[in-house]
Amino acid sequence: MGHTRRLDELTAGDADRFGGKSAGLGELLRAEIPVPPGFALDADATELDDALRTELADRYAELGTGAGAGSPDPPVAVRSSAIGEDSAEATFAGQQDTYLWVRGVDEVGEAVTRCWASLHSAEAVAYRERFHVARPAMGVTVQLMVDAAVSGVLFTCNPVTGDPSMVAINAAWGLGLAVVGGEVTPDDYLVSKVTGEIVRATVNDKRIEYVPAEHGTRRVEVGEDRRAAPCLDDGTIVRLVELGTGIARHFGSPQDVEWAIDRAGELFALQSRPVTGLPQPQAASAPTSAMALVMKRFGA
Amino acid sequence: MTSTATQTGAFPSPYEIETPEGCEGWQEMYPYYALFDERRRESDENRFWFWNSMHFPTPHPAFDVICIDSPYQAVGSWQNRVFAVPPAMGIDYRCVNGYIYISGNPVTDPAKIAERAGFFQRRAGYYYENWPELYDRWRAKMESLIAELVALEVPDLPEYEPDEVAFSEERNTAFYEVLHAYGRVLRLGDLMWQHHFEFLLLGYGAYATFAELCKTNLPDIPDQHIAQMVAGIDVLLFRPDAELRRLAALALEREVDGAFVQDRSPTEIEAELARSDAGRAWLEELERVKDPWFNMATGDGLTHYYRSWLDDPSIPYASIVGHISALRSGEQAARPTEEIERERERLAQEYGSLLPDEVRGPWQDLLALSRTVFPYVEEHKFYCDYWFLTRWWNKVREFGALLANHDFLEDGEDIFHLSRHEVSTALDELVLTWATGGLALGPKYWPPIVARRKELIERLGQWTPPPALGIEPAEVTDPMTIMLWGVTTDRVREWARQTAGGTSLNGAAASPGTIEGPARVVRSVTEIAEVRDGEILVCGSTSPAWAPIFSKIKGTVTDVGGVMSHAAIVCREYGLPAVVGTGRATAQIRTGQRIRVDGSAGVVTLVGEE
Repeated sequence: MGHTRRLDELTAGDADRFGGKSAGLGELLRAEIPVPPGFALDADATELDDALRTELADRYAELGTGAGAGSPDPPVAVRSSAIGEDSAEATFAGQQDTYLWVRGVDEVGEAVTRCWASLHSAEAVAYRERFHVARPAMGVTVQLMVDAAVSGVLFTCNPVTGDPSMVAINAAWGLGLAVVGGEVTPDDYLVSKVTGEIVRATVNDKRIEYVPAEHGTRRVEVGEDRRAAPCLDDGTIVRLVELGTGIARHFGSPQDVEWAIDRAGELFALQSRPVTGLPQPQAASAPTSAMALVMKRFGA
Repeated sequence: MTSTATQTGAFPSPYEIETPEGCEGWQEMYPYYALFDERRRESDENRFWFWNSMHFPTPHPAFDVICIDSPYQAVGSWQNRVFAVPPAMGIDYRCVNGYIYISGNPVTDPAKIAERAGFFQRRAGYYYENWPELYDRWRAKMESLIAELVALEVPDLPEYEPDEVAFSEERNTAFYEVLHAYGRVLRLGDLMWQHHFEFLLLGYGAYATFAELCKTNLPDIPDQHIAQMVAGIDVLLFRPDAELRRLAALALEREVDGAFVQDRSPTEIEAELARSDAGRAWLEELERVKDPWFNMATGDGLTHYYRSWLDDPSIPYASIVGHISALRSGEQAARPTEEIERERERLAQEYGSLLPDEVRGPWQDLLALSRTVFPYVEEHKFYCDYWFLTRWWNKVREFGALLANHDFLEDGEDIFHLSRHEVSTALDELVLTWATGGLALGPKYWPPIVARRKELIERLGQWTPPPALGIEPAEVTDPMTIMLWGVTTDRVREWARQTAGGTSLNGAAASPGTIEGPARVVRSVTEIAEVRDGEILVCGSTSPAWAPIFSKIKGTVTDVGGVMSHAAIVCREYGLPAVVGTGRATAQIRTGQRIRVDGSAGVVTLVGEE
């Protein structure tokens, strides 16, 4: 079809046309990482004319009959997929729009139009200027919604220290909005990739969560019984570490992964991008020899 | 005189520590140079001193001061005069209310540091290059030293010298022999300490360098993974316990395990075993194991309190009883050495692959060097602190018995309440009056002194020493303080914070896992028997010879020690969470209090006070 593709038809090479997010999800699917099915709009589509409306309707119907949909008008997430988004120096994180729990082809069309409009938001313009992103163009990603019991982000290194032997996980109840938007202090885990040992675990007071509403999502208070309870168990942490290391291995660089676990306990990667602004451990001086280091330890 | 009244640091001035009630005059137990003296105040008050609770957790008896003097004479000799470690000379000690505080002497003059670097590189380089050969020689040296100690006879004072003295050129009179033997015992101790520190600094140094390179490139690597990559498989220190497991398996195999009933004394167990052929065969095997594996101490050996398994067989027997019941419930008899070996190689492989290319080569070389030096780091404990010292304290006891036989002491053990110089003086009078037939004053002179000192040690034991005295250093730079005691800048900061109080303690994450339970504060080895199943051990430090305790407790917290301390090593072996080097756990935690030990994060929380 003209302006759209299924996500599993895309590869990294399609980033110029479909944007980094859609292309990245295509790569994840190629690597057999569990990703909710979806389709992508290219950056040349800029107007919701009849042709495009039909194309969207067909794609949406295809999603509705596919695996995991559960309904002919399944809830989907509509996100912008900017061109140039995945450059390692500048992550466009949060600079474009995300619409969750969008249902029916009319709502999908509306969300797509709003994504295009976000291109011209003041923040997006300032961001592009700062990082010299020239072309104001974007694709759109439409993906089946994961009805998340728990969601969060993970880094396949410690983003604070740069330690490559660690996976850092943030997790909170409900949809990922609360964590990504910094509206909740998530549970915080640092896990050794080498042994799977949980090196640091901080369970925080998670006051709010986002849950599906009839249209879109709503923010609700978390009940007393769940607020201070850990939202991950040891087995889930192991699965998250495996998910993260698998993705990092596929891309060959440390990754920042958004993930969600649905109410049946199934884990999905929602997106992945290279970790930016990582501290470079010990860039100052590479050791010359073992003995020189021992001598230095003794001050000689 | 310059005024030094202002105390700038976070810790109490050593000159403002009060003498506990009823302990007036405690200073008489210690040499003049061990005290915070007014004539040295300007210097001593402006230094950082920390309580060496790792080696001296309880008030120090007068005789045992030799085990402060000798080690610091020895460590300073190697560090300062032989290897000339560039920024650090030796370690000074002082005694406050019977507790030992230490402080390193830094070298600050850049020209001196450069000069010392030349010595260090040449001499330390020689040791690293020739380590295996030099260490083989060291072992032989230690074994012959121990043989000499064991063979050394403490002569009696007979009414008449034997004929040989009259008729042979070879024999000396007993007065000389007694004085000579006493002098020789002291010198053998000095020799042991000299050997003890010959390799120690360099061994710890290589390991510390490896650990540092790991942490620079893998900032979050748990300390225990570093230790796991280095630690040996056939560690000598695990051998005594391995022998006990083997004896336990043998008892089951020969079907004599019925004799091993909990709370039965070793004598009762042995009496029952002696009634059957199979039991007698087991006892014969036990005798073979004893030399040398029962020369294991109940503690780090720096005071006479620590006896060996030979002296107190209830410890190994309790262990055997525990192993037998573990074996009955299907546990493996031997440590899973192959599994440990595989995991050690896997860790080295995986961490190595995560390193930047330019670091990997030096890192692998350092790992190899650390593995080369590590046997010494672990084994010297067995040779020096356990085998030699427990024998040595017993040799001193023989002089105690001699003095007690002549009424200079009420009990042979009382010798430990006299300084080594006082013992020398007492022996002088003893052999003098033995020779002259005159009336000895000793029996009237020494017993009251001993009685007062027993009371002092008892009372001082109730006092809790602060973790540090004097000024808080901007930075801890002394490599030895960091490597041997785990006293880092961060640790000192934490002590300073805790001096103001708090409800959690930080230390090194020594053995992973989290556990909550009632605390049992154990200040000395004599309190071991009070530990109950399921408690969390809180102590100054431990030694792996406390094996029976580790099968009872759920976790460990120590005041002092790094991840290579024995509490840490044993807890990893037993899979118990441990936090070491908290500075003042024994001061802040009470027996019975609920605590939570997070051995992965290195935090101890006092649960009731959150």
